[in-house]
Amino acid sequence: MAEPVISLRRLSKRFGQVWANRDVDLDLSPGRVHALLGENGAGKSTLMSILAGRYAADSGSVLMHGKAVSFNSPAQALDHGIGMVYQRFMLIESMSVFENLALSAGKTSGARNLARGIERIASQYGIAVDPDRSVFELSMGERQRVEILKLLMLDAEVLIFDEPTSVLTPPEVESLFAVIERLRGEGKTIVLITHKLEEVLKLADDISIMRRGRIVVSEPIGARRMSRQQLARLMVGRDVVLRVDKKNVPVGETVLALQGFSGDSPLGGPAFADVSLEIRKGEIFSIIGVAGNGQAGLVSAIAGLTRARSGTLTFGGTAYSAREWVGARTGKIAYVPEDRHHTGSIGAMSIAENFGLTRLDSYRSGVAGMLLDRARMTADGTRAIGAHDIKTQSSGDRAGSLSGGNLQKVILARELTRDAQLFIAEQPTQGLDIAATEHIWNALLKCRERAAVLLVTGDLKEVLSLSDRIGVIFNGRILEIIDACDSDQVNRVGLLMAGVVS
Amino acid sequence: MIRLEKRAQPLRFKGVVAASWALAITAVLGCLIFAGLGVDPLTAYAAMGKGVFSSFDAFSEVLVKATPLIFTGLAVATAAVMMLWNIGAEGQLVWGGIGAAGAALFLFPGLPAWLLVPLALAASALGGMAWALIAAVLKARLRVNEILTTLLLNYVAIIYMEHLFYGPWRDPAGFGFPGTAQVPEAAQLLRFASTRISIGFPLALLCAVFLYYLLNKSIWGYQVRVIGKEPRAAHYAGFNVTGKILTVMALSGAFAGIAGMVEVCGIHYRLQTGLAAGYGYDGIIVAWLAGLNPLVVPFTAMLLGALFVGGEQLQSVLGLPSTISLILEGTLLFGLFAGQTLAGYTLTISGRSGEAR
Repeated sequence: MAEPVISLRRLSKRFGQVWANRDVDLDLSPGRVHALLGENGAGKSTLMSILAGRYAADSGSVLMHGKAVSFNSPAQALDHGIGMVYQRFMLIESMSVFENLALSAGKTSGARNLARGIERIASQYGIAVDPDRSVFELSMGERQRVEILKLLMLDAEVLIFDEPTSVLTPPEVESLFAVIERLRGEGKTIVLITHKLEEVLKLADDISIMRRGRIVVSEPIGARRMSRQQLARLMVGRDVVLRVDKKNVPVGETVLALQGFSGDSPLGGPAFADVSLEIRKGEIFSIIGVAGNGQAGLVSAIAGLTRARSGTLTFGGTAYSAREWVGARTGKIAYVPEDRHHTGSIGAMSIAENFGLTRLDSYRSGVAGMLLDRARMTADGTRAIGAHDIKTQSSGDRAGSLSGGNLQKVILARELTRDAQLFIAEQPTQGLDIAATEHIWNALLKCRERAAVLLVTGDLKEVLSLSDRIGVIFNGRILEIIDACDSDQVNRVGLLMAGVVS
Repeated sequence: MIRLEKRAQPLRFKGVVAASWALAITAVLGCLIFAGLGVDPLTAYAAMGKGVFSSFDAFSEVLVKATPLIFTGLAVATAAVMMLWNIGAEGQLVWGGIGAAGAALFLFPGLPAWLLVPLALAASALGGMAWALIAAVLKARLRVNEILTTLLLNYVAIIYMEHLFYGPWRDPAGFGFPGTAQVPEAAQLLRFASTRISIGFPLALLCAVFLYYLLNKSIWGYQVRVIGKEPRAAHYAGFNVTGKILTVMALSGAFAGIAGMVEVCGIHYRLQTGLAAGYGYDGIIVAWLAGLNPLVVPFTAMLLGALFVGGEQLQSVLGLPSTISLILEGTLLFGLFAGQTLAGYTLTISGRSGEAR
C-alpha cells in the first residue's frame, strides 16, 4: 500500500462535557476508499469536520505526507486539497450551477475558461450536470454532483463524503458509486462516512469503525472478510439483527382513495399528475421514488397542507374534491414529515411542548378551552420517553438537544397517539442509526394493525422490509403498483424508480 | 491561550448572559464616550447614580419614565415573539393618545372618573390596535413587509396628531399654543403621593404578567410561539398564521396605545408635542434587552428609565450635551447585539496539553 496521504495522530475534540473524539489515530491512503462506520453520535462527522477545517481539534495532530498541518477554516483545508461533501449541501439555491461553481472557484481567468474547466472535469469523472440550471430545480443527486464538482474544480485530493447516499435513491446511488470509483481510479483519497453496511462492503478498500468517539477497528476490508453481522456488531457493540416482526394483518376497509389526483409541488419542483390509488386499513402502502419526482407535493396534498389542482380524494367513505379537502382535513390523519428538525418539531421548545404541535385540541382546558393543559402535556411527553426509550433527561429538555433518532421517536410517539385512520410516514428513517431504524420500522408495522399506513421513502430496503403494496413514482406519476409478495415484480422496483418501464 | 469558542449547546440562561454582556459593554463604551467629552467617567457615573438614587422623588421619575416604556416594550415583544417587527409602537402610542384625548375631551367629557378612565383606556387601546392593524392586514393579505409599513405609519400618525392639536382640537383658551385643552379632572389618572407615578405603572406591571400567561399558558400563545420559532412546523400543524398576524399585531398595538393614554391622562393631561417622545422606539431596546420575556420587560424598562433620568443629571450637573442619554441608549443597543452574539460563545483557556478547561 502507498504511503498515507493523511495521518491523524491522537486527535481529540470535546463539546462541553462530551468527548466527540478521543485519541483518534487514522491513516488515509491515495487511490483507496476508506469507509468510516459508526452509529449516530459516534464521532464520525466531527472527526472529518476537523480534517476539513470546520472544527479545531482540542489536541492531537494532522499529518499530511508526514508533515504536520493545521487548518483554521474549510478554505485552508481546501488549499491543502482536502474537501468535504456535507450532508446538507452548501449551495446557493437561487443561483445557477455555473454561478455556484464560479463563486467557489474565486479568482478565475474568465467565464469561458471556467466553463471549459467544468466541462473537462465533468467528463473526466463522468459527472453529468447542466451548468445553466438553477440549483433549486435540481434533485438531491444532482446537487451532490455539483458539490463534488466544486471540490474537484479546486483540485481536491482528499474527498470526504458525509452520509452521501442518505438523500439518494438506488439509481442515484449507483451513479454516485460510479463517480467514486472513477475518483479512486484517478488516485484520489476518498473517505466515506456512513452507517450503511452494504455501501461499505460494496465500495470500501479500508474500513474504520468508530464507537463513542474512539476508533475500535481500522484495517483493510479484506483482512478478515467481515460479514454484515460482524460489522454491525462492531459498530453498535452488541448483536443487531435487522429483522422486523411482520405479522399477518387482515386487510380492512379502504381508508384513502385517490382518483386522478393532480397538483403542484409546494416548493416549485415537479408536480404530480393523475395519481389514483387506494390505501386500506391493515396495510402499509409505500410510495417509492427518487427524491424530487413529485412525492413531496403529493404527500403535502394528501395531508391537506397544500391544495391539489384536480381529482377527488375519498377519505373514510366521504368524497372530497381537491378544493374541499384542504378545509375538510380532519384530525384523522397522522403525519411524520420528512423534515424532522424544522417541520415535525420545534427545536427551541421542550419535548413536552412538542407534543402540542399536532394535538393541540387534546390539551385544551379552562374557559372555552382557551388554556393550555401543560400538566397533561408533560405527562404525555414523559410517557413517550419511557415507551420509546428516548434518550434524554426529562420531557422538559429542548427537542433541539436530541439526536436525530431520538427526535424522530418523539415525533413518531406524538403522531401515534393521535389515533388516526391514516398514518403517513415520509422518509421516516433517513439518516437514522440501526437501533432507531429498527424501532421505527416496528412501530410502523404495529401501527398498521389499527390504521392504514402510507410510507413515502426512497429507501428500497425499507420498502421491501415493510410494505404490503408498492407504488413507484417517477416524474410525478405512479408508474405501477406492485404487490410486495410478488417477488418477480418486486425486482423491477429499482428499474421503475429510474423510469424504466419494461 | 485564551480564545472564544462556539458553544455546542445553547446556554440555559442565554438571556441573562446576553443582557449582562450588554450592560458591561455599555459601561465600558460609556467610559470612552465620557473620556472623549473630557469628563472623568467615574464622576459621570456617580452623577448619574446620584440623580437616580439621591431621593425618592428622583427615583420616582425612573418609574414615571418606565411606565410607557413597559407598555411599548410589551408591544414590541408581543409582535417579536412571532418574529414580526413592530417598529410602529410610536405611531400606535400616538393613536392611543388621540383615542384617550378624544374620549375624554369630546366623546364622554361629563362622565365620572370610574367610567371615563376605563373608556379612555379602551379608546386608546382601540386607537393603537386600529393603527397596527393597517400594517397587519397588509402583511397578512399582501405580504407587505411590516418593518416598513409600521415605521412609515409612525410619521403619518404624528403628523395627524399635530394636525389635530394645531387645528380642530386646539384649545380655544390656549393663547394659540399648540395642544388640546386639558382633559377633564375625571380623566386624569390617580397619582401616588407627591410623585408623578400614576396608576399607569401598576397597570403596566399587570399587563406584563398578563402577556406572560397569555403566551405561556394559553392555546393562542402556544401557537404564536410556534409560528415565531418554526413557521414550517406551524404550517404542518395547520395553524392559522394569517389570523395570528392580525391578533398579535392588534394586541401589540393595544399595548402601545395604552402607553399613549397613560402619557396623556397621567402626565401631560392633554395632547401636545411632547407625546411622541420616542418611547415607541425605545420599546424595541426594552423588549430585546429583556429577551422578549414579558416578566423581564418592567426591569429593562426601569433600567432605560434610569438611564434617561441619570442622563438629565449629566446635562444639568456636568454640562454635557442633552443628547448624552441618547448616545448611551445607542451604545446599549450595540451592547445588546454584541452580547447576544457573545452569549453563543464560551471563553476557553487552553494550556499546551489542550486538556485544561
